[in-house]
Amino acid sequence: MKDVVVIGGGPSGLAVSSELAKKGYDVVLLERNDELGGLLQQCIHDGFGTDLFGESLSGPEFADIFISRVRGEDVDIKLEAYVRSVNKEEGLFNIVTVTPKSVEELEARSVVYAIGCRERNQFEIKIGGTRPSGVYTAGTVQRLINLYGILPGKDVVILGGGDVGMIVARHLFLEGVNSILMVYPEEFFSGLPRNAQQCILDFDIPYRPRTIVRDILGDKKVKAVELVDVDEDWEPIPGTEEIYHCDSVILSVGLVPYSEKLEDLGARVDKKTSGPMINEYFETTVDGAFSVGNLIQIFDYVDDAVKTSFTAAEGVERYLENESKKDLGIELKPGDNVRTVTPQRVDERTGEKFSVFFRPAIEKEDPKVEVMSKGEVLESCVKRYVSPSILEEISISKDILLGEEEVIIDVR
Amino acid sequence: MRIDAKVNRKIKGLPYDISFEVKDNIVSLEGKVEEYSDWVKIGSEIGDIEGVEGVINDLECEGKGSIVPKGFIEKSEGDEDVKMGGYDVVIIGGGIIGCALARELSKYQIKVALVEKEPDVSLGQSRANNGMVHPGLAPSKDSLKRSLNIKGNEMYEDLCEELDVPFKRVGSLILITSRTMEGYKKYIPDPIYKFFLKFILPWIVKKKGEVNGVKDIEILRGTEIHEEEKKVTQDVLSAVKIPSTGIVDPYQLTIALFENSEKNGVDFYFETKVVDFVKLGRSVKGVITDKGTLGCEYVVNAAGLYSDVVAELAGAREYTIHPRKGVELLFNKRLKGWVDHCLAELKIPSHPTSKGGGINPTVHGNIIWGPTAEEIADRNDTSVEREKIDEIMERYSSILPDFPKEGFIRYFAGVRAATFTEDFVIRPARDVRNFLHVAGIQSPGIASVPAIAEYSIERLKDMGLELDEDESFDGTRSSIDRAAEMDKEVLERRIEKDSRWGNIVCTCEMVSEAEILDAIERGADSFDAVKRRTRAGMGECQESYCLLRISEIISREMDIPLNEVRKEWRDSEFFDGVVRGEEP
Repeated sequence: MKDVVVIGGGPSGLAVSSELAKKGYDVVLLERNDELGGLLQQCIHDGFGTDLFGESLSGPEFADIFISRVRGEDVDIKLEAYVRSVNKEEGLFNIVTVTPKSVEELEARSVVYAIGCRERNQFEIKIGGTRPSGVYTAGTVQRLINLYGILPGKDVVILGGGDVGMIVARHLFLEGVNSILMVYPEEFFSGLPRNAQQCILDFDIPYRPRTIVRDILGDKKVKAVELVDVDEDWEPIPGTEEIYHCDSVILSVGLVPYSEKLEDLGARVDKKTSGPMINEYFETTVDGAFSVGNLIQIFDYVDDAVKTSFTAAEGVERYLENESKKDLGIELKPGDNVRTVTPQRVDERTGEKFSVFFRPAIEKEDPKVEVMSKGEVLESCVKRYVSPSILEEISISKDILLGEEEVIIDVR
Repeated sequence: MRIDAKVNRKIKGLPYDISFEVKDNIVSLEGKVEEYSDWVKIGSEIGDIEGVEGVINDLECEGKGSIVPKGFIEKSEGDEDVKMGGYDVVIIGGGIIGCALARELSKYQIKVALVEKEPDVSLGQSRANNGMVHPGLAPSKDSLKRSLNIKGNEMYEDLCEELDVPFKRVGSLILITSRTMEGYKKYIPDPIYKFFLKFILPWIVKKKGEVNGVKDIEILRGTEIHEEEKKVTQDVLSAVKIPSTGIVDPYQLTIALFENSEKNGVDFYFETKVVDFVKLGRSVKGVITDKGTLGCEYVVNAAGLYSDVVAELAGAREYTIHPRKGVELLFNKRLKGWVDHCLAELKIPSHPTSKGGGINPTVHGNIIWGPTAEEIADRNDTSVEREKIDEIMERYSSILPDFPKEGFIRYFAGVRAATFTEDFVIRPARDVRNFLHVAGIQSPGIASVPAIAEYSIERLKDMGLELDEDESFDGTRSSIDRAAEMDKEVLERRIEKDSRWGNIVCTCEMVSEAEILDAIERGADSFDAVKRRTRAGMGECQESYCLLRISEIISREMDIPLNEVRKEWRDSEFFDGVVRGEEP
């Protein structure tokens, strides 16, 4: 019998494993790859760790810190471990893993999902046309360049103006492709302003806002794409179609949390974040099943994603020690000008303050962030600037929530 | 009235100057039309005339010129110089029909070859359909389609068991709803309309099925319908249940037929294009390909979309293919519980050239919506328009109104090789003594496969082919074992022997490295060939996790650089060269 099984050896999984082991729990860490570190291993650019460590690290450097922490603790690490099933029976979790060594059944009192997300593909965004070779997700391209030293193509179109797309664009530019064009449906880059400057503008990489790849052309290999301008609702504007020649299309069109695995266990999923619904200790709606990192929502900074693990480790501890008392059941919901809020629920009286992350739906300078219930403002604060491309964090004290049932977070 | 007169009457009414010729009940058309849709419409109207056994449509189209392609590639000097052996039968086309025929012929003591222009079997319409094994209700009573469909459907269990291919007789429900005869609704008082749809129409459908030879048809009403299919629309008035409808994985079946034929001595020539024939009088003596010449006693034309082109090369033109595209939408396995039967909503009048498609489960647990039916000029056009995806969602959501439509994971299109007579064309060529047409195989082609193979062999016998059974024939074949289907103990034993069974490379479909290796061992030499054999990459992430991992295995096993791993064809390599600075 294990105290906790952590699924996923990326930064958040590593952090929660070492925290729990440090507390003296018997921890098993399962990772499907043959090395720890998750996606960070393919992110060789820097910018990681500025918050947690006060310096700008590369992905592998950042990962190494947490890998050593886990290695320094007594964590049972299983690599190349595919989780075939997780079931909960009589309060205990039964986890079946497949590794090159064996099929193993683990029993655990609690489980932490740190499985992150997958990239959206060409079908999920309904790109039309043919289905030739030469269409890749940005993550595949990062892996291809950084781990194999191979380029996807010579003339590249990148769809999506988010952080990953911008970083990949700069990378391709530096590694010597012939041409790059970045297109995205938003009016501005959807990633961090810092990345827009350092990855696109500084290198004069051409970009086209309010544009999408409508069709892919070419039978065997990508020969061209049909670009089309879109309106504010991202609907194509007839008559603006243009054939653009290229040999590869790189998709950086968002990430989808692997929350289906948790759904199989019976956990509820928030339609807005696509991640599992969690409480302030990152516990899902299945008692004893926790969720950390980018599985909850896409964090802008890995530092923030990893910080969820510290709180979750406390939550797991409280659960294992039977200290958790879920008596509040207050729901947190996004207001009109907010897209997502996590946690979705506050369950316990203990702990004075907790962090709430929310993604604004609007761009605004000096906005007021309000915590409201039944039309009344319980607490408010002022931010310098909010935008949908920046995930915001506020700290709320539990005292003001007592007695409420449904609390709304909004910006004005 | 003679065929000439009937054709003449049709053509006289058209705004075009069209000339025609009728020979042996085959009508040839010449002239010029403005729109491609007219090219199709005129061909179809002539094909509908009773007694017409083929339409050769040489009408030119304004701005497009000739519609029918002339050969695949230019014949070049020396093509016929290389001798590739003499065969009793050469089959042209490695789709499900060609492969089924190859296997059937491998039961006898003859030498058989199959030539295929693509690098693998099943790369035409055989891979891009919904895998439905139709019951035989739709074809008209006197058609060849009907008899082969009914017979083929009955043969499926045995065939799939021998070849170790999953087949499920899930049954189908034809739903009659208040929308079924919407166009007539305003002319008929509501109670009568409803009564007709509830009591008369299902009976008519059942009768038609019974006349066609479909067995065990039942009529369902009220709660009976929802007992069979829980989530179907509430406004269903009656349903016709056909238990014999089945589902199969069409490319896995084609691959199985190929593997088993090869095991029994059939020679397969891939990436080999037919460019001409060696003729002597009214006989074909050899099939000239871009790789050399195959001597032959008999030729079977199972070239699907290009069967008319191949026939012309042999001097046996009797029909023109008018390609009809169908788009399908594939949904996540997680939605499995939504559909148990093949579902279709009856609409009268029906779509003129397609039964209208519907919602089907697949043998792998996905759900598939479609297909559409669209006449297209370009036979290779398997593109999917964005609008078609929405159209399919709109069209079939009346069957399952609450279905989570955002759960689709892929779409694709296939092109049906329809002739203007719309029936299967399985007969000896009129002007070439030893050339058998097996053409115009479209829906219900999959269902008819086993019967088409048998029927074609009877025709070859009629043509003089002598067949003695080969005692060494072994009709069994086993498919690639799947980690995903193994229970704990079985998988554990596998891993003990070979750790690669425990290396899961496709996490969506739970495919192990051992399965990838087995596929490569069986001849798969591209990513998609591996994918079709193992299902790796067919899950919800659509290759985004496993593309590189599997490419790496292919690169290692085939001893080629990673950037030479192909998606499918030559010139479809995935990646480019090395990054800057690492150039030698």
